[in-house]
Amino acid sequence: MAKRKSLIKIKPKKYTTGDVVKVNFMVMHPMDTGMRKDKKTGKIIPAHYINEVKFFFNDKPITTMTTWESLSTNPVFTLNFKVPGPGELKVIYKDNQGEVNEKSTKIKPKG
Amino acid sequence: MQRRSFLRGLGLVAAASTVVAPNMVMAAEAPKGPNAFTIDAALKAITGGKAVVASPKVHLKAPEIAENGAVVPVTVEVDSPMTDDDYVKAIHIFATKNSNVRCADVMLTPANGAAMFATRIKLGTSQDVMALVETSKGEFLSASQNVKVTIGGCG
Repeated sequence: MAKRKSLIKIKPKKYTTGDVVKVNFMVMHPMDTGMRKDKKTGKIIPAHYINEVKFFFNDKPITTMTTWESLSTNPVFTLNFKVPGPGELKVIYKDNQGEVNEKSTKIKPKG
Repeated sequence: MQRRSFLRGLGLVAAASTVVAPNMVMAAEAPKGPNAFTIDAALKAITGGKAVVASPKVHLKAPEIAENGAVVPVTVEVDSPMTDDDYVKAIHIFATKNSNVRCADVMLTPANGAAMFATRIKLGTSQDVMALVETSKGEFLSASQNVKVTIGGCG
């Protein structure tokens, strides 16, 4: 079970309680469609894609996504989030081969 | 007479092989994914037969010409107050001519503050990208845009 590189970015960097911020979540993932061939061996690369992404704030679900193989390699998910106060933003993502990973970041509103 | 029947047999074999062979090659090169949907079937599965209205409230941003079909940025924004009574429940993104038309289903809640979703998708050929938005009132709104792809991004 490979550990995936992922990143959560919050824009803008300075925000206060009640602001609507942009949450940018990136994962390093091949997102294979199952239709491409390995050029060396000629065998079909099996489908391998993220099929579920969940965003939580303090363990309360905010956004749930179901995704398919049509997303690009190393997908990016951007969405808005209204900051209710300090806490932890957690992302749990699964893929069709059973990998489950998570990434979290702290939300610290100023002022 | 013998020669004629022999040739006829040969012809039949040749015909059969030409008929069968391309199918097998096609099957090896482009297997259908388990999620192969047509756009109509996908829409029906989500809306349950309800009418879909093209709405100016839905803003779909995608490039008109994408040089690389493997990375096409798509942004969907919806004019919505995002309060507990009136919010956007879901945003669905479709690529109408991909073998699997469904790209992403995003279930939003009022905690999002604003209805926006952006991602990058793969497009096989030039086609329409479509966004279907479900509101908490049970309406289905849509917007679509044609994207010309120079180099396909699938396979």
